[in-house]
Amino acid sequence: MYLRGPSLLFFNVSGLVVASEIDLPWRTADAVAAPDVTIRQADTPTDLPGAVEAGPTWRIAGDQFLLRIPGVARFLLTKGREITFEIEDGAPAEDVAVFIIGTVFGILLHQRQQIVLHASAVRVGDKAVLFCGPSGAGKSTMAAALNQKGYQLLTDDVCAIDLDAAGVLVAQSDGRRLKLWEQSIKGLDMAERKAGAVRSRLEKFYVEPHEPTNQTLPLGAVYVLREMRAPHKDGIERPNVVDAALFVRRNAYRPRLVAAMAQKDRYFRSAAAIAAGPGVFLLTRPLAFKALPGVIEGLEQHWREIGLLGDAP
Amino acid sequence: MSERVWLASYPKSGNTWFRLLIGCLDLKDGESVDVNETAAKGGIASARHPFDHTTLIESDLLTAEEIDLLRPRVYEALSQGLEEEPEEAGQTRELEFVKAHDAYTLTSAGEPLLAGARGARAAILIVRDPRDIVASLANHNQSTLDEAIAVMNDPAAALCARTDRVHKQFRQIQLSWSGHTASWLDQRDIPVHLVQYEAMKQDTAAIFAEAMAFAGRPISLEEAARAARLADFSELQAQERERGFGEKPPKTEAFFRKGRTGGWPEELTADQVDRIEGAHAPMMARLGYEPSLKLERAG
Repeated sequence: MYLRGPSLLFFNVSGLVVASEIDLPWRTADAVAAPDVTIRQADTPTDLPGAVEAGPTWRIAGDQFLLRIPGVARFLLTKGREITFEIEDGAPAEDVAVFIIGTVFGILLHQRQQIVLHASAVRVGDKAVLFCGPSGAGKSTMAAALNQKGYQLLTDDVCAIDLDAAGVLVAQSDGRRLKLWEQSIKGLDMAERKAGAVRSRLEKFYVEPHEPTNQTLPLGAVYVLREMRAPHKDGIERPNVVDAALFVRRNAYRPRLVAAMAQKDRYFRSAAAIAAGPGVFLLTRPLAFKALPGVIEGLEQHWREIGLLGDAP
Repeated sequence: MSERVWLASYPKSGNTWFRLLIGCLDLKDGESVDVNETAAKGGIASARHPFDHTTLIESDLLTAEEIDLLRPRVYEALSQGLEEEPEEAGQTRELEFVKAHDAYTLTSAGEPLLAGARGARAAILIVRDPRDIVASLANHNQSTLDEAIAVMNDPAAALCARTDRVHKQFRQIQLSWSGHTASWLDQRDIPVHLVQYEAMKQDTAAIFAEAMAFAGRPISLEEAARAARLADFSELQAQERERGFGEKPPKTEAFFRKGRTGGWPEELTADQVDRIEGAHAPMMARLGYEPSLKLERAG
């Protein structure tokens, strides 16, 4: 990965066509005259005057959102359509790219008033099955383990949710690669699919999934990942609709922005629809790799019960 | 002014017990302490989630060094209550007690990792005889006694420091047992109140009430005594047996193990005692932990 000149690269991600001056580990797309989002390297301010909401590393003022990742880059997001970035301290392009495909694009989706969950997703039958949770909850590891078993990867880490023309809740694919820690790559026996480090200074790597899918699929189920620790017992349970809706909102890509961008009602309505429809489930399991086969067996059993998989073994 | 107070301690020194005592203050008559719910209140300074929530940055894409440079900003924001839901903001804020196993250190930019007076109004430092910590730490880490001693004597010791995985908590620079204790006692950014585990064992109510008065939440001796009864060690052990305890490392048998003081002569060999006392004699003397006879003779 390296910085390009003025020529643009095109990507297809979360249902959007993105034109970028910087190469990104996304599915490439044909060039179009009017992309949904453009990403350019340009002078980027250090502050936004008139900020109405702010945190230690970010500011919101009107249609603009400024994010600073110290020592990597500053990013200015405008109207959910334009991203400019200015590299700090000569950070390598890979470092900029990995934050663009994660935090920056996730914030852009929030800015576009999109429902976006902190989730990885695989295809089960003809539906999307999502695994939500904060960093370290095991989303990518779960998606990778299922991918190893033959389930296509839909998305890793960021999952945009839409209503299609028929009013069905759908999950967008993003054609991204998995990001896994060395420990997970070893634990899942995926060394032969390991690509470059996500950042030169981290032992976290891109991993090529088997058969990623670029389809948009109806939501089949949403699992909230939880570690098995007392007093929680392992297993799958379905919380009541009110709790389920709260779980979904807490697993927005950046819950802080749901409040800051006045999106609570929008999330509440979508969350209630997901909870009442496809269903929100708590998946409590031990984090150890050796427990994964049993966890997947339990999931497949659950998928047969809720009709995502046929009865045949 | 910040409404946060650090509950600072080296691991296995009584931090959880202290948090459970605080939790018991809110129990109504007839209610009993829930070890899992109560101990989790307030969280820990090194938790990943509040950082990600506040900075919007994926902390698992940052190095430990980059995280440490941002941690002071996060504590400032949390301390000012900027991260609460809008409907909660503006209400009277309660004093919040936050556990910390980090030593009190400076970042590479030269500022206090825990943000000094902008991160908390004060700290309660809980210390315990290092000879009693050894067996408890070995049990917690599923290590040998010698390995536990090596950690306590290592001036560069850190928790959650593996770099091939994501830990649920950030790397915590811990220093040696002496270094950790001195870092808190000798910093001048925030007032610190020393609580000794042994004194807490002996007169829980008085020591607890004194610490709460220091923190800015004065309680009566009766309230303190009631909390002490509700969080009695045998009650905590019974609950762990019955329901389990979420902070117990998966492979260990129990978190609430013995909770006693002065058990070290039966747990450690003379050589192991020598190694702890040899490394920590000045700090032990400062805190009034008497060296064993053998060392006195040698000295």
